[in-house]
Amino acid sequence: MSALLVALEKAALRGFEVQSAEYTPFKTVIAPLETMKAYLFDCKAAGFRLLSDVMGIDYLEYTTFMPERFAVSYNLLEPHTGERLLVKVFVPDGTPVPSVTDLWRTADFHEREVFDLFGLEFEGHPDLRKILTPEDLDGHPLRKDFPLGETPTLFREGRFLDPAAFRAGLTGKDSGMSGYRGGSRIDSSLEPRLPTASPDSMVREGGQLS
Amino acid sequence: MTKAADKPTKQPAKQPKPPKLETRAEVIVPQVSSSLSGGSGLLHTETMTLNVGPQHPSTHGVLRVVVDMEGEYVTKVVPHIGYLHTGFEKTMENRTYAQNITFAPRMDYLHGFGYELAYVLPVEQLVGAVVPERAMTLRILLVELNRISSHLVFLGTGLLDLGALTPFFYTFREREAVLDILEAIGGQRLHQGYFRVGGVAKDSPEGFESMVAKFLETFDAKLDEYQNLFEGNPIFQERSKNVGVLTADTALELGITGPNLRASGVALDHRKTTPYAGYEAYDFNVITRDHGDCFDRFVVRVEEMRESAKICRQALQKLKPGPIQDDNRKITLPPRAELETSMEAVIHHFKLVTEGYHPPKGEAYVPTESARGELGCHIVSDGGSMPYRIHFRSPSFVNLQALPVIGIGGLFADLITVIASLDPVMGDVDR
Repeated sequence: MSALLVALEKAALRGFEVQSAEYTPFKTVIAPLETMKAYLFDCKAAGFRLLSDVMGIDYLEYTTFMPERFAVSYNLLEPHTGERLLVKVFVPDGTPVPSVTDLWRTADFHEREVFDLFGLEFEGHPDLRKILTPEDLDGHPLRKDFPLGETPTLFREGRFLDPAAFRAGLTGKDSGMSGYRGGSRIDSSLEPRLPTASPDSMVREGGQLS
Repeated sequence: MTKAADKPTKQPAKQPKPPKLETRAEVIVPQVSSSLSGGSGLLHTETMTLNVGPQHPSTHGVLRVVVDMEGEYVTKVVPHIGYLHTGFEKTMENRTYAQNITFAPRMDYLHGFGYELAYVLPVEQLVGAVVPERAMTLRILLVELNRISSHLVFLGTGLLDLGALTPFFYTFREREAVLDILEAIGGQRLHQGYFRVGGVAKDSPEGFESMVAKFLETFDAKLDEYQNLFEGNPIFQERSKNVGVLTADTALELGITGPNLRASGVALDHRKTTPYAGYEAYDFNVITRDHGDCFDRFVVRVEEMRESAKICRQALQKLKPGPIQDDNRKITLPPRAELETSMEAVIHHFKLVTEGYHPPKGEAYVPTESARGELGCHIVSDGGSMPYRIHFRSPSFVNLQALPVIGIGGLFADLITVIASLDPVMGDVDR
């Protein structure tokens, strides 16, 4: 039996939710934080010998409600058949995630990256240090509330164009300059329509530069 | 059409006796008794910590390695990365899908087309783009040509690290020929930004196919030349055989992919195991070697260039005139001429340029085989026209983890060989 089927069966036994995305051929298992490591151990035993990737996601500004703010997505690969399984764990802010470095040594750099860019702690990681950003950088850049550090475009008499407002409409949250929100962008049955961002409202009269 | 030149029969050079190298792990540092150390009767020895890089030619960019040494032998290696961290992922989360194509090739500057393809594929999955035949063939042709140029840089600079100056000039001669082709089609030598969601930016220029054919005609003979130049060389063999051995088990444990894993005997090549972008229609072999030492890692890449050239030849034969972009106006810009006659085209143009398209909510990941290993772009879409979260599984970042494992136990000079043979591109490591 293929590794994927075994892993999915194990997930069903534990009562985990299995998502199959419409766009990508890979299945995603949603594992709870407490039993996630035991499940990953089962996956490895089933044949997923290569941990391809660990990705952090910050769902702070996501357009649908998610159980927790953060998620860590483990990307498992069976190296001989190329089967792939994504295991996603939702993590509240400030809660440590069990490290999987003892299952796959490759998780070392990956977890350090997630720690550095998202600020998620990994419990049991042998050497949890920053990896990509400078030592003296404060904060975790891939969190959605980390400022971008853009400069506003300046006009006469103190008017300025705020880059964030300029981008309104490109994100799924707000409607764009045309006021069109695109049916696929947001589940309109669940959330009320936000007011349209018009070009006028983007240039703020007499705005103060900080 | 083109045919491999007759291979000059390799001289049955006498294999040099297997060098009597000490098993690396068992090296014992001799404690020389001497009067120099005064009193104790032992030479004063202590662990020396040596800093290599970040700015050093043999670190292939800005890699800093802190090495603990007992005499000439390396006991501990700690890589420090991040000097090239540019925050591409954060930047791309705040740009539209069309704008992001500019960023993709800048991460791995040696195999830029690989990154472009890795970025474009999941977006196409999300929006459901249909890529025309000609665009698919052009993409594969360019990715493989770029893979050849990337491996040529690896070979030239890798041998340069071992003190062989000549191969560098040979390989860069061929690389320039490839880059000329890439420049002809994409406009730039390195960061083309030529792929589009649903196709490629524009059709190939006049005489493009003959340019590629001319290059492929002589390339196999050139490869033979390189192999004769270094593979049988006793100095190279001495310095690379049984150095930095990575067993298949350790490699899988460390998540190593690509030529580094195939040199350890695992035939994992995403072009074969999970074909993407139309690779299933091409006939090529997955090159593997068994020992997993530096020598094998060099040889696997050279043989891979041969396979890439094979794919390029097949792609040239498949290249038939036809459309190069998806004709869905919701994701593809309308042709310039249409803007003067059609109001609808003007609206589409305006919408695509100001706001971009909105892929539906969901996630997509497509593993691809870059010149360095598994490269995949994981996109989380929230329905906006900018990716909510975009993450690149970059192969060099993971492959670099092998360095502290296989770099120890040997001489310091072997560490340089190991770094060269792992072929990290720092732009790819730090992103």
